[in-house]
Amino acid sequence: MAFRLRWAGSGVFLATEIRVQLHEWLAILTGTLTPGALIVFVAILAPELLPVTLVGALVYSMFLIGQRVLNEAAYIRIDHKLNELYHASPLSPESYFVGLAGGMLVAYLPPSLVLLGILQILHPLDAVAGLTLIVCLLAVWAVSSTIGYVVSTLFKDMKTIWPYSALLTNLFGVVPPVFYRLGSVPVGWRSVALLLPTSAAAVLVDAAAGLESLTRTEATVAAIALAGEALVLFAFGIYWARRTAREP
Amino acid sequence: MAAETPLRSHPQRGRVLPAWAFIGWRWVWRSPAAAIVPLLQPFFFLYFLHVIAPPELFPLQVAGAMLFSTQNIGSWCLSDSAVFRIELRLQDIFVASPVDKVRYLFGIAFSNLIPAMPAIVVLGIILSMVTAVSLFGWIVLIACILTIWILYSAIGIAVSSRLRSQREVWPVGNLIFTLLGILSPLYYPISRLPSGWGEIARLLPATYAALLVQGALGLEPSTNFAVDGGLLILSAAVGLVAAWWLYEWRER
Repeated sequence: MAFRLRWAGSGVFLATEIRVQLHEWLAILTGTLTPGALIVFVAILAPELLPVTLVGALVYSMFLIGQRVLNEAAYIRIDHKLNELYHASPLSPESYFVGLAGGMLVAYLPPSLVLLGILQILHPLDAVAGLTLIVCLLAVWAVSSTIGYVVSTLFKDMKTIWPYSALLTNLFGVVPPVFYRLGSVPVGWRSVALLLPTSAAAVLVDAAAGLESLTRTEATVAAIALAGEALVLFAFGIYWARRTAREP
Repeated sequence: MAAETPLRSHPQRGRVLPAWAFIGWRWVWRSPAAAIVPLLQPFFFLYFLHVIAPPELFPLQVAGAMLFSTQNIGSWCLSDSAVFRIELRLQDIFVASPVDKVRYLFGIAFSNLIPAMPAIVVLGIILSMVTAVSLFGWIVLIACILTIWILYSAIGIAVSSRLRSQREVWPVGNLIFTLLGILSPLYYPISRLPSGWGEIARLLPATYAALLVQGALGLEPSTNFAVDGGLLILSAAVGLVAAWWLYEWRER
């Protein structure tokens, strides 16, 4: 009963957030521009890497959703003080966090489906690779939504946020082997790449799709790291949402 | 009248630029990430390009990163002027002050050049390490950077003056400046662009800046400096006129 009460209103808040986000069609459209730019660079400079880059673009798009959570949560809290209204209502803080992250996921999914369609044309995925892709993308969404939400609670003005948002997306999305193969990374850095959620997800999908060859140890490390980070961080996100529901 | 006397006793000129430089510096000082991220951003892209592209293109990509970083100042100007106008209402104070709109525009552009300078200087040092740069090459590079800085800052501020909510800043800025960054051949020779795209790219000032810089550094032998220089000035002038037309100084 207590569990049901705690999550009551989640569905309505999720639907509200989806509706709010779907009005932001320009933001949804422009969210595809950075991965689009990297796809263009690859198409011009190294076309043979295009399927790997498309998998990377899907992973990056999921990570970008978390950064949209960062901006949205900060905007609601700092500019509109709307979170105080939500928190004063029967909606629980964890429903607020999950609803926000879920709303972003649904609203920002269409561009990812377009990328998936292009990938299917260039390099069709079988059932195993498709399932791996879905699980890995959900794990990346869980990690990045939590990072986005937690970071958003640490700032008091919107202007300070963007450098951190840009830093996170570049550090997790552009530098590690998300848009390119793990094999291009110096051997000493490969274990670090396997521990990062974005590159772990990308190399697992690449391996499942036959775009990259991984050793059993590398695949196990990447899978355990990604699963552990997704579960632990999402649980931490729920804890953090409860803890920061009311400002001191 | 009584209020005017002490105001007139103060110097009326010469303080705007240092004041805006101070605003730029305070922004860096208060938010270290704001200094680190613009410094790192071109290097993130460069690293990615270094991994995927042939190594002989690296000097061209370093020069391209300098232009791209300068072009990005426009995006920061858009964000800054939107915060000043919508959130802080600071623009209202400037409108009511003796500062005119040209100085305000230039001030925002100047204050945003400050956080970008470290990245541009470091990229310049890397460029001199990876390829020989003549005096002519440096002059062309600096002239192109200044042109791109003025033009894209003006575009950023002009677009920002039409935004009604902070929420629009990120998508609009991203749309304009990422698209412009992709369309111009900053990171590769224009000859690599598919037909059709190359023609569209030739409508953009950054393309001519890239061609001039690539030519001056000896990376693109077929550059016609007079034609490309003339087209850079012409396209920049058209862009500045458009920005001036779009720019809204006072609210209606």
